Amino acid sequence: MIYMKILMICTEKLPVPAVLGGAIQTYIAGALPYLGKQHDITVLGITESSLPDQETVDGIRFVRVPGKIFEVYREGVAVYVKSNQFDLIHIFNRPRLVLAVREAAPHSKITLSMHNDMFNTEKIDPVEANAALEEVAGIVTVSDYIGNVIRGLYPQASSKIRTIYSGVDHTRFLPGSHPKMQSTRSQLRKTHGLENKTVILFAGRLSPNKGVDKLVRALPELSKKFKDLALVIVGSKWFSQDDTTDFIAYVRALSKKLTVPVVATGFVSPDEIQNWFAAADLFVCTSIWQEPLARVHYEAMAAGLPIVTTARGGNPEVILPGENGLVVENPEDPAAFAEKISTILSNKSLMKKMGEKGRSLAISEYNWERVASDILAAWQDAMDWASEYVPMEENLAVAAEITAKENQTVAAEITAEEDQTVAAEITAKENQTVAAEITAEDTIHETVGSADEELQDLNAGPAIETEETHITNPLRRSIRTFPKESDAISKRDRLRETLQEMLRESIQESVRSSLSETITMAETMREIRSKLRRKKS
Amino acid sequence: MEKTIITPWDVDEQMHEFYVPEYIETIGYEVLKSYDLSVSSMQCVTTKPDKGGAIWKIETNKGQKSFKLLHRRPTRSLFSLGAQEYLVDIQAARVPAIVKTKDGVNYVEAGGKLWFVAEWIEPLEPVTKDLEGAKHLCRALGEFHRLSKGYVPPSGAEVASRIHKWPKSFKKTLIKMDWLRTVANAYQEMPASQSILAVVDQFEEQARTSLERLNQSKYYDLAKQGNQFWGLVHQDYGWSNGQMGPGGMWVIDLDGVAFDFGIRDLRKLISGTMADLFNWDVTWVREMIKAYHEENPITPELYDLLMIEFSLPNEFYKNIKEAVYEPELFLNEQTTQLIQTIVDTDRTKWPVLEEIQNDWKGV
Repeated sequence: MIYMKILMICTEKLPVPAVLGGAIQTYIAGALPYLGKQHDITVLGITESSLPDQETVDGIRFVRVPGKIFEVYREGVAVYVKSNQFDLIHIFNRPRLVLAVREAAPHSKITLSMHNDMFNTEKIDPVEANAALEEVAGIVTVSDYIGNVIRGLYPQASSKIRTIYSGVDHTRFLPGSHPKMQSTRSQLRKTHGLENKTVILFAGRLSPNKGVDKLVRALPELSKKFKDLALVIVGSKWFSQDDTTDFIAYVRALSKKLTVPVVATGFVSPDEIQNWFAAADLFVCTSIWQEPLARVHYEAMAAGLPIVTTARGGNPEVILPGENGLVVENPEDPAAFAEKISTILSNKSLMKKMGEKGRSLAISEYNWERVASDILAAWQDAMDWASEYVPMEENLAVAAEITAKENQTVAAEITAEEDQTVAAEITAKENQTVAAEITAEDTIHETVGSADEELQDLNAGPAIETEETHITNPLRRSIRTFPKESDAISKRDRLRETLQEMLRESIQESVRSSLSETITMAETMREIRSKLRRKKS
Repeated sequence: MEKTIITPWDVDEQMHEFYVPEYIETIGYEVLKSYDLSVSSMQCVTTKPDKGGAIWKIETNKGQKSFKLLHRRPTRSLFSLGAQEYLVDIQAARVPAIVKTKDGVNYVEAGGKLWFVAEWIEPLEPVTKDLEGAKHLCRALGEFHRLSKGYVPPSGAEVASRIHKWPKSFKKTLIKMDWLRTVANAYQEMPASQSILAVVDQFEEQARTSLERLNQSKYYDLAKQGNQFWGLVHQDYGWSNGQMGPGGMWVIDLDGVAFDFGIRDLRKLISGTMADLFNWDVTWVREMIKAYHEENPITPELYDLLMIEFSLPNEFYKNIKEAVYEPELFLNEQTTQLIQTIVDTDRTKWPVLEEIQNDWKGV
């Protein structure tokens, strides 16, 4: 792996490290120690009174600029990016930062990490979203659900998207039976009158979306069947007078009428939350909204708890039904929770097995090292993704990419003869390497400058002939066909399409006529490269 | 300036009507030093203890002013201050002008909140409590909405916009009908529970229909026209925040302004007025809409949206949603009466809506 200079840009909301909590901040903190070993990493985030504006911790540089308001943050980010150089810039959950970052760093690769619905049309204007997607080399999402929503809105981005499930510190989140947790468990249970109880745990924001009211409403039914139940609700603002909401008031009003004891913990500091997981016997996620994929699932698994979750958003993706938990299909209905919870609670050995399965998944699948290694792989692919800001370079890259694929398939399709396929394969390899090398050359602007300018004004007059007539001529031909009114994005899209079509034709043509011409293409590219080298030296 | 953070405060019966904790007043005096004013007296005229806000009337060498502690987040307050400045400076609206500090800025940040000084408008007279008065209010509201169009918040301000939040807010109304039913079921022994259970299905159905109608309306197209196109709503407009003064009607207390369709303020004003009359009166409704339309024309699409807004169980929602807070107190005999009044008034709403439904057809 090549050692790279990487910038990770956090959101404008919460500082990193996660001194104030936050799912994205936890994700970053979990993966950083591993990422920092492979690359030179800078984390750009927001200022926070308890943290210095610049510091280096364990080899990772932290830079903090004013945040909270997105526009203010974006400006700070742009200024910082402009005055520093990075090979790759990884932006967390803010597609609206992409264009500003691109402008400040024309040559860095940009990757995005998507944690929720920030690509939805009310969060980002589709024109900007399209442009941003064009600029990024890769998008990692916290669940298939998040990736699929982006795909649904912007199908052209599909191939750039991959899921990287988050992780959990399984040395901190431990089952209550673990030697390190036994006393914490019994102490916590004793303090809150939960001894001899079967403790159902909910942990999350107390908001209608998260649906804890459905669980509270399921309890009367469950209490008929199970006499020892108790519910623990971990979530802040329960006791707050000034800052309470109608929803919290509602859940409180319902809880007061229950025969089952309800323990509301109020705010629990993020570094103590594992204790409540260890004290519980069953974890229930009640989300009724299309949730990206709540972190609590990983935490519950690590704590060896069977899980009941909802078929909403990415949540069911980490559940193997019957193995580490059950999925409620209709979470609007309290009875549906009663049913699934009852299935688990009625079968002690199933309960135990589910907990063990969860724990083993947390260790093998949802550990931070795996998250980091997935991110590293995504970065590597982004570097290999042969595209850059300068459209001419992209054209060449696209050309190479298509040529590579097309040479193989088209050649095979058109002529079944073996020698030709072999030849095409050679061409494919050649083109790929040559294109990659060309893209890497900084001096490309000088050589193809004329074509570059032409791309900026796509309706320019006759193409200026350069010495690379072979390769640039057909490209120009396609460029000139764009109508005047087309906007930048559709221009690029159409360019891509036209280019593909053109190359397909040209390959078909050359495969049909003679093999030698196909090889000439590769040679031409090699020539360009060596000319560039000469010019540079 | 100060490290103290201003927080909401408790009040009880023994306290003065407009009690403000001393530390806040102390910060206030400090804040006033940033102004080129010599203050001879300071009198609190209103408070929001549960939120942490207050307004004082101050006598200065440059006349009477109002001095405000805004309870919202500073970035949110920046939005409303920017709006107030835009309305006065650019649009010459009858809205109190902001007095600048010695450094020429609109506000002072202290105690984690924004403070500002504005002109004290005098004399201000409430309009008469009749249809003529109501029409004055509507015209002034229309004018306010029209003049607020084009406002661009200053950098660093949160953009408060409700333009895209209508479906969410409709859904909220619908969901809370279910909450009310559930609470009433859990507190069956309370007198008002049976009243709620008797009517909640009907109001839930209304809310469901309203949401369906919204989804089928031109709302989404209209929303696309964006914040600057639609301008600001006041959000707390009524018989006290719109008053007759020098040169015509004045709009005051702009702290809650947000981008939205102006007809939302209009709907609140009309349905609130009808609630005060205990009866929907077709003449009042028509005349109020027309008066507004004179100042800020309502297109047929917008009129349709207004009709959909009216169709929500607004009054039941507004008055009864409190039941989730301490139902053992709220669901009393008095609430039973209140529900009855709401239901009776609601019955008179539907014929009126039906009658005016086609008023804008072919306009």
